[in-house]
Amino acid sequence: MSTTTYTPRRGTLARTESRQALGFVSPALAGLALFTIVPVVLSIVMGFFNWPTFGDKEFVGFDNYVRLFTQSPDFWPALRNTFVFALLYVPISVILSLLLALSLSSRIRGRGALRVLFFIPVVTPMVANVLVWKMLLQPQGLFNGLAQSWFGVQLPNFLADPQWAMIMVVVMSVWQGLGYNMLIFSAALEQLPESVVEAARIDGAKGFRMIWSVMLPMISPSIFFASIMTMITSLQVFAQPQLLTGGGPGNATQPLVQFIYNQGFKFQELGLAAAAAWILFAIIIVLTALQFRAQKKWVHYEH
Amino acid sequence: MKKIHVGAVAAAAAAALVMTGCSTGGGDASSDTVVIDMWAGSQSDTDALNAQLEIARKQNPDLKIELRTAPWGDFFTKLTTNMASGNMACVTGMNSGMLSSYTDGFLELSDADLKTAGIDLADFSAGADEILSNKGTMYGVPFDIATMLVYYNADLLDAAGVAHPEAGWSFDDFEATAKAATKDGKYGFAVGMGDFQWQALPIAKAGQQPVEQDGTLALTDPAFVDAASWYSGLVTDEKVAAPVASASDTGWGENQYAGQNAAMAVDGTWNAVSYLNNDAGFTAGMTTLPSGENGSLGLILGSGFGIAKSCKNPDAALKVLGSMLSPEAQDYIASSGRSYPARTASQPLYFESIDEQFRPQVEEVFTKAFEQVQGQYVSDNWSKVGTYIQPQLVSVYNGQETMENVLESAQQQFGK
Repeated sequence: MSTTTYTPRRGTLARTESRQALGFVSPALAGLALFTIVPVVLSIVMGFFNWPTFGDKEFVGFDNYVRLFTQSPDFWPALRNTFVFALLYVPISVILSLLLALSLSSRIRGRGALRVLFFIPVVTPMVANVLVWKMLLQPQGLFNGLAQSWFGVQLPNFLADPQWAMIMVVVMSVWQGLGYNMLIFSAALEQLPESVVEAARIDGAKGFRMIWSVMLPMISPSIFFASIMTMITSLQVFAQPQLLTGGGPGNATQPLVQFIYNQGFKFQELGLAAAAAWILFAIIIVLTALQFRAQKKWVHYEH
Repeated sequence: MKKIHVGAVAAAAAAALVMTGCSTGGGDASSDTVVIDMWAGSQSDTDALNAQLEIARKQNPDLKIELRTAPWGDFFTKLTTNMASGNMACVTGMNSGMLSSYTDGFLELSDADLKTAGIDLADFSAGADEILSNKGTMYGVPFDIATMLVYYNADLLDAAGVAHPEAGWSFDDFEATAKAATKDGKYGFAVGMGDFQWQALPIAKAGQQPVEQDGTLALTDPAFVDAASWYSGLVTDEKVAAPVASASDTGWGENQYAGQNAAMAVDGTWNAVSYLNNDAGFTAGMTTLPSGENGSLGLILGSGFGIAKSCKNPDAALKVLGSMLSPEAQDYIASSGRSYPARTASQPLYFESIDEQFRPQVEEVFTKAFEQVQGQYVSDNWSKVGTYIQPQLVSVYNGQETMENVLESAQQQFGK
């Protein structure tokens, strides 16, 4: 059997096989095209049109983008709210969950149960979480009730005060998302190579030095992953403000995604909504790219 | 290889386009079939519609009539798509609060059209012709009518030693009742967040709507601003109502009332039966909106049917519409207690369907409440105005913003 005689045959076989393979993947490709590619392309197109849900569509070029930046009274506040939320939420969430993972990494009794406890908010439906938080925070709620009966202090109406409302959205979101990052960090901490830890211990490292100089650098890929994912989800925040504060009072807690939702589905301005969505997309891409560039300085992949 | 991939993706994309194109089609019926499109949220809703459909079939044996339904929320999304694709059902259900966004799809009804349908508006409740009208043009005929009422918790009022309000009471009576009932951690009144719920009292007090009949926004009209400021003052000055906890509490007043935290709240006649039979077990009562120097103006709301502009056989559709609103069909919805019928002759049957112990009160209050009503005027961007004002109301009720400022900025933003 000489290879030369088989070469052309193998070529036809490969071709037939790839054709058959294509037959097998075509349902997936059709699905991808129908549910991903077409809507994405359509949304780009929509961004350049005055596109009411019903009625005549009209090409307006970059008008939607200009309108967003110069005329829409809610766009800049929405952008500001999104950034305020992300700036507060990402560091607090990452640091707290890291602390939690570190304190649960030593062999303390019942840490499995504690981990489950902290993870519960991640798996419970957001609507239920928000309902509980509302019952805690409203003036007739638990916090105000306790403050009044114990200290005789009247707490502010948290969800109706422009300053407090955003803080409470962040607090609730941190509580809700804490368990997920904690789980990532816990997994990374469990995987620390024994040899490195032992070598550091022999060299006399312990306590803060051990965590700062040995453990953190070694789990830095996980920290990087968690902070990127947390940042992306925080820029896309919608459910918490929508359900907890309704974007109010006024537009004090209305993030960009809620703005997009209102434009598209309440005001039927699909073109404007699509344009705003692409601005959000651009922001997320740029920030993620910057993070990827910065990671070279602080993320260590080699053990 | 590359070529094949590109080809495959192109083929898949083409297939996708064909598929999306197909999905808007279908449902096309031959021209001698009249399709009725109506919302129905449950089996009992559908059964009731089918009973009315039977009446329509009996009255029009020569026509084929079909029924399409969708739940309330989906109905309007579907209607938007159907309108965009020219596939709207000849006889389509419509609600007074939703009409302004859909006028483009409906046929303007003339007197001749009503005659074809066999409908004489004189048989209907006063103001019924305004329910499905927009800027003076009529697009549909209602099968039921509704307006806003003040509901009270008789147990809370008794506990506070306050007399129950009676139909025809004044704004002074209202304030006195609210003040007296505010004690022991309960509030006398609960403010509304929904458009109808919060605007009902200001409109009644001002004697005018925040929109003019031609659709011009008039939020800053001094009479309305005064009345609305008085309304928010119930929370901030009189302290007879609790400040709203969050802008996401869109049903604040109704929930506070149902949860027995407040003795009174404003809600529509459509909830009368559910409040009377409330699960919490308190004794509910109802009365008309209070009246002041400017009378007690109420809005007449309701749902009905219109004819699609794209309908190929409007005469047949009008006949079906007439049958769906015929005395027999109206008697049916009235006696089943589903809603308060628009035909005056059928209205007594509605009261008969109500539990005997509540019947006299419901009959008295309903009759009186519909005496001074006006169709709702809306501007073209009315839903935007509502969406803008609602989260601002929270700031107003919490004293961080004044009602005047909010109405002013809404007028500036949407009144162009």
